[in-house]
Amino acid sequence: MKGDLYIARSTDKAITEKAEYGGAVTALLKFALENKKADAVVAVKARDGNRYDAVPVVITDPADIAETAGSLHCASPNIARFLKEYLDGAAGMKIAVVAKPCDAKAIIELAKRNQINLDNLIIIGLNCTGTLLPAKAKALFREAFEVDPADVIGEDIEDNELIIKLKDGSEKKKDLAELEEKGLGRRDNCRRCETNIPVMADIACGKWGTKDKDSTFIEVCSEKGAQLVEDAVAAGSIKVETPTADAITAREKKDQAARELAQRWQEKDFATLEEMSRDEKFNYWSEQFSHCIKCYGCRDACPICYCQDCFLEADRGLVPPGEVPPHMLFPMVRITHVMDSCVNCGQCQDACPMEIPLSRLIFLLSKKIGAIFNYEPGMDASQMPPLRTVTDKELTVEGVEITL
Amino acid sequence: MSIECVPTICPYCSCGCGINLIVKDGKIIGQEPWKEHPVNEGANCPKGKNAYEFLYSEDRLKNPLIRKNGKLQEASWDEALELIASKLKEAKPEDFGFIASCRNSNEDAYVMQKFTRVVMGTNNIEYCGRLCHSPAAAALIPAMGSGAMQTSQPEIELADCIFLAGVNLRETFPLIARRVLRAKARGAKVIYTDPRKTTTARHLADIHLQLRSGTDAALINAMMSVILAEGLEDKEFIASRTAGFDELRDFLAKVDLKEAAEITGVPVEKIKEAAITYAKAERGCILYDQGMSQHYVGTDNVRNHANLALLCGHAGKPGSGVNSMRGQINGEGSGDMGCLCVFYPGFKRVGEDSAKVFEEAWGVTNLPTKPGITYIDMLYKCPYLYIVGGDPMMVVPDVNNVKKALEQANFLVVQDIFPTEISKLAHVVLPAASWVEREATHTWIDRRVQKIEKLVDPPGEARPDWQIICQLAERMGYKDKFNYSSAGEIFEEIRRCVPQYKGISYQRLKQNVGGIHWPCPSEEHPGTPSMFLEKFNTPDGLGHFQAVEYKPPAEVPDEEYPYFLTTGRSIFHYHTGVMTRRTPKLIDEVPRSYVEVNPEDADKAGVKDKDMVTLTTRRGTMETEARVTDEVPLGLLFVPFHFANACANVLTISALDPSAKCAETKVCAVKMEVKA
Repeated sequence: MKGDLYIARSTDKAITEKAEYGGAVTALLKFALENKKADAVVAVKARDGNRYDAVPVVITDPADIAETAGSLHCASPNIARFLKEYLDGAAGMKIAVVAKPCDAKAIIELAKRNQINLDNLIIIGLNCTGTLLPAKAKALFREAFEVDPADVIGEDIEDNELIIKLKDGSEKKKDLAELEEKGLGRRDNCRRCETNIPVMADIACGKWGTKDKDSTFIEVCSEKGAQLVEDAVAAGSIKVETPTADAITAREKKDQAARELAQRWQEKDFATLEEMSRDEKFNYWSEQFSHCIKCYGCRDACPICYCQDCFLEADRGLVPPGEVPPHMLFPMVRITHVMDSCVNCGQCQDACPMEIPLSRLIFLLSKKIGAIFNYEPGMDASQMPPLRTVTDKELTVEGVEITL
Repeated sequence: MSIECVPTICPYCSCGCGINLIVKDGKIIGQEPWKEHPVNEGANCPKGKNAYEFLYSEDRLKNPLIRKNGKLQEASWDEALELIASKLKEAKPEDFGFIASCRNSNEDAYVMQKFTRVVMGTNNIEYCGRLCHSPAAAALIPAMGSGAMQTSQPEIELADCIFLAGVNLRETFPLIARRVLRAKARGAKVIYTDPRKTTTARHLADIHLQLRSGTDAALINAMMSVILAEGLEDKEFIASRTAGFDELRDFLAKVDLKEAAEITGVPVEKIKEAAITYAKAERGCILYDQGMSQHYVGTDNVRNHANLALLCGHAGKPGSGVNSMRGQINGEGSGDMGCLCVFYPGFKRVGEDSAKVFEEAWGVTNLPTKPGITYIDMLYKCPYLYIVGGDPMMVVPDVNNVKKALEQANFLVVQDIFPTEISKLAHVVLPAASWVEREATHTWIDRRVQKIEKLVDPPGEARPDWQIICQLAERMGYKDKFNYSSAGEIFEEIRRCVPQYKGISYQRLKQNVGGIHWPCPSEEHPGTPSMFLEKFNTPDGLGHFQAVEYKPPAEVPDEEYPYFLTTGRSIFHYHTGVMTRRTPKLIDEVPRSYVEVNPEDADKAGVKDKDMVTLTTRRGTMETEARVTDEVPLGLLFVPFHFANACANVLTISALDPSAKCAETKVCAVKMEVKA
């Protein structure tokens, strides 16, 4: 049932050899497909075995699940968008989807907007302490680790260290905070992310609280998740045991440490924005948005944006067409339309050819709104976004102000 | 159902950005960022974000068309190829001209030049590179040994001074503008020459030199004289790596800064600031484009920028040099493949020796040893023309005259993906496969060879360009010389004939995201991001100064035609607009042609914003909508060349650069009247 905790591993030797941490996730996906719990699995694989080039895949043949086994850190495909845009939001079929916390949050935000049918989804959440952009990861491996990126066969983030595993079997590690001080390391948004365990998914799977990397710690987060795990156990696809009190504490501590690092980054990143005077802020953001070339990359990548006929399109008459940079209405409308629901996935900033620090701004605003309305995006499908539910009375409360 | 995320390279400009296409059951239904690609790291410009829609435009050419009773009518491939073969057999070598394209693949371009030389017996093979970057070869081969871009895109970030010479970078190479932003974040200064106050001037440049159109040589002479006066020349570099400095110094002694300021319209202080900033940099990087080359003095302009770079030692280092910014997907490659009337593949100059080399390579005799005629000449002089993937009726100056000449042609074949202005005049129109409808390599701006895989089928009967040419060669009796079963076989022959490509293979390209920069002499060689690190490619290995005397534009305003006219591009469109005008999101941004007019000029002429105006030059007239803006200075009008129903090149002048034969599409004299 919801709230159950397990230490799980696959019973299939073929899976445990290929997968990490006992292959519980791979086994669950295979079980879901084989037993028609899902018509398809959406997961991420390294294209042609390239760890820096991860793409979403739709799998219907259980034999193909193995190609998605193992964790990838230099990857940030847009899973929620993929479901919404190309799989009709799971309208017509049951899908088991593997999701990092931000993916799961985005799925839930899209479900609130009737873009994804949660009834047809099983969300297998994966713990995550951050991802790296491929180009930056390669530069980091070359410069800080002094290794050929092609020789890296695994990455891990553990106790605030970045660990890489090399072809020759050796491992190298570096202090993550130190790397990131130098501008190397995880994507900006990931550095600020406090959600390491995806409890908004149906189950949350990760290595924390396990020993010897041979099993997966599973937290059951919904009745749907409980059913999947219980059925898989009953069918013999995975075997489980109850984690010890020490294991549970160890997991909590790891989560706490990662949250604290994220909070430090939030303080630091937000402070640089907050400390500016009103004029400085205005100048800073005017300068940033003056770089915009109106590619719509941020909008298209945003998993929360969903309008078929966007107000910002050239033919809608709001933003004067054909101008670069576009009128300031363009970024302002973009931001206000999503700022109550930002899941801090960072996709907007990844897609920006001019490297405008969009995720920093939108996440900051989202935090402020969240504090006012006691709302956290992406956590609960039944809780609607504040800018949709705000009442006239709330709008007239004095002394509540948000500035960029 | 099959749904897959597959990588490819953007079909538009020459940056060569990666994108992921979502292919569902054989049809492209969307696109997503490809974050690993080193050129763009998952970000794209407006065109790159709308990369594939044109493929599915209703009016793609799907069948061969033959003109019968004055009308183009559907025909079979057999009929069309048979007709072309019989007509071309009539043509004397000098009567035939082939115009290839910057849109072709390397494999296509290679087969086209081979067809022209082997089957037709002439070097009358050109491509549209003639109209944009031919001054690069004419100026930079003598100066430094190659007309190609000298550094790689990522290395631009290393520069601490970037000189954007007549390139509106934010609109025409947005993903290179990102490199410049990154360099700026590290402290680099950006100098920009452009008569217009473009978005690049307003939002990227630190020093905007708003010179009068066509006065670049005078500006650079002034900058060099400042550098010498300040003693900021790189003496060690000049001594060890260059020749001809004394002549340049003597020539520059007569430069008068005040006079330069009068010619260029740039104040002396600003000239000095730019000169000193560039000279004091550790690594100065000149990026130049059509603003420099599309003048009848284009070669001189490029020469002078080479002088400036050599004077300051800003060449032969990663992130430096004088970099021609070829604008199209195969702007570099079609030239590499020998689609130029003076070069066999690999830039082997046309002559007895090169002919002998290729006679041996191709197993033929009697290859032509005399240079052919150039692009624009061909249009006027060759009664038999074969034109692929380009529209001279849109891009060649003085279009009205071009039309008259083409209407006289005995036989005109046009091979393209859409009906174009020139296909309206053709005797035969052949439908070609495009972009991801076939397997091919292209060579992007920084000599970056990348491969595009076939992901979807071409529409109707359309075929890859190379295949069409080979089938034609077969009908003309040359089957054995054009007996390729795949693009891969052609590429293997390219590797044997073009030394720069020797080490590049399909296999390697598949494994190397971002491709390989030529020269790549062996399969073990990683490719060459930056050129000239040890020495220049000139016979003596030195960089050569070539002093340049300023010459005013061929046509300047007078009482009757009181304004300067210049032409150029918008970020939302691409060249002749054939693809972007069929892409809803792009055409919605800029739906029609316009002319930019300075507010004061508009006032004087009684023109209001959005008025329809008539523009007239000595060559022709067009109507367009006025856009009153201070982006253009007093006395200058600007028209984009993307629109067929308001073709800017009706107005432009056919003044040709004597050595490069590039035309002065960037400046002429024009008058403007409010449409009655």
